[in-house]
Amino acid sequence: MSKTGIIFDIKQLAVFDGPGIRTTVFMKGCPLRCKWCHNPEGLSFLPQLMVSTQGCDGCGRCKEVCPSPEHCTACGRCVVACPRHLRKICGTEYTAEALAKKLWKDERIFRMNGGGVTLSGGEPTAQWEFVLELLERLEGIHRAIETCGYCSWEIFAEILNRLDYIIMDIKLADPKKHKYWTGKSNERILANLEQLKCSKKPFTARIPLIPGVNDTKENLRMTAELLKYTDNLERLELLPYHKTAGAKYSMVNLEYAPRFDENQEVNAAVEIFERYEIPVRIL
Amino acid sequence: MTEKIEQMLTYYVKNREHHKFRRAPKDPYRLAVNYEREGLDDLERTVRRLRDMLEEETPVVLPGESIAFLRTVVTVPEIYTAAEFEELSRKHYIHEQGKVCNISPDYMHLLSCGFDGKKREIRKRIAEFEKNGERERVRYERSLLDTLEAIETFTDRYAQEAERVGNQEAARLLRRVPREKPETFLEALQFLRIVHYCLWCSFNYHNTLGRFDQYMYPFYEKDMREGRLTKESALELVEEFFLCLNKDSDLYTGMQQGDNGQSMVLGGLKPDGTESYNELSDICLQASLELKLIDPKINLRVNKNTPLSMYVRGTELTRQGLGFPQYSNDDIVVKALLDWGYEEKDAYNYAMAACWEFIIPGCGMDIPNINGLSFPACVVASVNRLQEFDTFEEVMTDVKKNIYAEAKRLRDSVASVYLEPAPLLSMLMDGCVERGTDISRGNKYNNFGFHGTGIATAVDSLASVRKYVYEEKSITKETLLDALEKDFKGYEELANMLRYEGPKMGNDEDEVDELATILLDWFADSMEGFKNERGGIYRVGTGSAMYYIWQSKDEQATPDGRHKGEQFAANYSPSIFTRLDGPISIVKSFTKQNLTRVSNGGPLTIELSDTMFRNEESLEKTAQFVKTFVDLGGHQMQINAVNREQMIDAKKHPENHRNLIVRVWGWSGYFVELDECYQDHIIKRMELVV
Repeated sequence: MSKTGIIFDIKQLAVFDGPGIRTTVFMKGCPLRCKWCHNPEGLSFLPQLMVSTQGCDGCGRCKEVCPSPEHCTACGRCVVACPRHLRKICGTEYTAEALAKKLWKDERIFRMNGGGVTLSGGEPTAQWEFVLELLERLEGIHRAIETCGYCSWEIFAEILNRLDYIIMDIKLADPKKHKYWTGKSNERILANLEQLKCSKKPFTARIPLIPGVNDTKENLRMTAELLKYTDNLERLELLPYHKTAGAKYSMVNLEYAPRFDENQEVNAAVEIFERYEIPVRIL
Repeated sequence: MTEKIEQMLTYYVKNREHHKFRRAPKDPYRLAVNYEREGLDDLERTVRRLRDMLEEETPVVLPGESIAFLRTVVTVPEIYTAAEFEELSRKHYIHEQGKVCNISPDYMHLLSCGFDGKKREIRKRIAEFEKNGERERVRYERSLLDTLEAIETFTDRYAQEAERVGNQEAARLLRRVPREKPETFLEALQFLRIVHYCLWCSFNYHNTLGRFDQYMYPFYEKDMREGRLTKESALELVEEFFLCLNKDSDLYTGMQQGDNGQSMVLGGLKPDGTESYNELSDICLQASLELKLIDPKINLRVNKNTPLSMYVRGTELTRQGLGFPQYSNDDIVVKALLDWGYEEKDAYNYAMAACWEFIIPGCGMDIPNINGLSFPACVVASVNRLQEFDTFEEVMTDVKKNIYAEAKRLRDSVASVYLEPAPLLSMLMDGCVERGTDISRGNKYNNFGFHGTGIATAVDSLASVRKYVYEEKSITKETLLDALEKDFKGYEELANMLRYEGPKMGNDEDEVDELATILLDWFADSMEGFKNERGGIYRVGTGSAMYYIWQSKDEQATPDGRHKGEQFAANYSPSIFTRLDGPISIVKSFTKQNLTRVSNGGPLTIELSDTMFRNEESLEKTAQFVKTFVDLGGHQMQINAVNREQMIDAKKHPENHRNLIVRVWGWSGYFVELDECYQDHIIKRMELVV
């Protein structure tokens, strides 16, 4: 039996997720809870209702058809009832077989353009059984991942083995601060980073630059220390924080509580990395 | 950009200071009453109109400018009184405004010999025709002489004005051209400006610029060789010329502000298989990139061997948000033209009409936008009789009948076409001077083109009927028909299901996309073998022009969940209310059809978020995406870099977005100057941005 996974989006013509023209698969569920997360619909592992309030005139049809007003079961009845199409179920179950088949349809396009498939999320390694099967079924297509690196050494090794390219976040170098801002310590992540560095697989490292959180000279220098002298590191990308990050929280019935000053300017100190001869750019 | 061009941009575009020279609008029939009283025929009237119009004009020359000519008279006069025109409309099919428009002049007919040379040729013809007693032809040739002389007289007044304001350079130039043939690039540009300006004053409209990089190249090349020009000074001249095209463009007639047909084509295959894209083509792209103006509207001719670097160059221009370049694929278009009987040298020389129709410079008197077939209307007529059909095949057979019937109706509708004579334009077309006949009467190619509107609406509707009514049987015929009749009132859930979950063209599903292949093939078949009254054929295409608004306005609800009156997608594009799998699936879905049979013109339009153009790497990938479309055998594509928030704000606060440029259906215009229905359509399209 083919393993199943929950996917919340499949985006074609992704141009920032690895080499060439790619299709990025967004997988639901993440072990981390970064305060700045801009994909809150990717946090939960289960399908969930997503509601856009902009344009809602309060006609009430969604309430009329709801069989379980106390507790949403993501049944989808209100989705077709809404005359303005403001609701959707975020999260679709796929078998690895079906998803691979869908992605293989564009193999020629990937080949023509030096591209492939990128798994993202959420955190793709969290659905590792599904991911392992999917990657196997995609052998022949260039396969990449966007990961926070938070998973066991063994799983990371297995997944790494089936990949051609890796994009890995290094959110914070200090374990305590990492735990405070993301909910988990970074020990596993740093161990997996070492594993990645030894794997010889080409990779990009990314830092989402959050004002006052990880854009300090100290953290950037510590991160540079982690990444220096790494032959297979193609480059480091700095992603300055966008104030639009909070936009989707209300849609999945969550509250956005960043706990840092969103208005503070980020310190994109590329020179720190240049000093370490790490190729760097701001995205 | 040089300081001079920057100043001109501020003067003409930002501050529109030149509007101070404009006079109040006048009665368009001010001259027609005289013409009627004098009993003039249409040829005499057109010659007189240009002369009278130019006499009304006041020359304006600015001290620093190199290329002169500016409009001060706002209203171009009609040659017929309203009553006369009404009478004419009763007897004839009047295409749009009844003027020759939307063809591609071969400016070399005048650039290569100057007015003096052309007059010598005309006098020779007059002598010949007199000898043979062909009085009509003699009379026609004389009208050409009169036309040239009217322009010369007008240019003399411009030369005097140039002297008066102390612009000696311009005065010297205007004493030479257009009488003498241009010797330098600047002379050729001024010459072209005069002729183009006078075409607008002759009430010809959709005056295209054609293959500017080809016919202007010899002048450019000679100047470069002889050291009169550098690339920088050539760029400045091209920029000034491009600016000229924008000075009066708000006065140019069209369906909407901006729909003025000033298209320009760059590059393209030669019959020997080599590429014609040259240094001047690149300068034109650079000029457009720097100026960020709606004119000229740039088209790039590409093919499967076009290097990625050229697409990158084009994509840099797309990034400016102007809605061009538009790409056309020579591999498909040239083949289509050859199949339609165009000679090889002509097919390879194709240019673009106002929007996207493929036409031939000099020899084409095609009317490529004469009418349009609504695919949804053909489908709706069958769907409404669903009770009579036991199988989906029977439905399709009926749709085919409707397409054929509509094709016949369209052909019959365009009988007895009348166009006003166009003496100036005739001198820019092959054979008119030689024959002593006007271009309005026809030329080597006299084909009529029909648009095909709403293909995605039609396909999605048929695919839904097949799936839900005939295959799954989850919707009964009664339910569907009742829902459509009531415009889905009381059937809201059904409408939503059809709209958002129904099968759609653009998701790369072969069985859905095949329906488009069938419909387009039938459209082509339905016109094949028929000749129009001018001996030409009927070409069909995937364009929509404004028909996506017109033909959808009164169209009932459709089985794809579209409500009554809701707009179709423009041109060859997917449904505007459904999120599809993505741009890769879209280009695959839209390149499976037999496009060489439906290449009258009409692009696949794709909206991409402006963030995709953020850095060099992502820009190159976007260029690769365009190349992919061409390599898959697409015929024509147009990409928009958009930012929806900006449009919404522009609707609310037009005063802050006066220079926001958007693509409408086949042309780019200023967003805040569009009618609301077009603004809303564009915003709607953008909700599906990738």
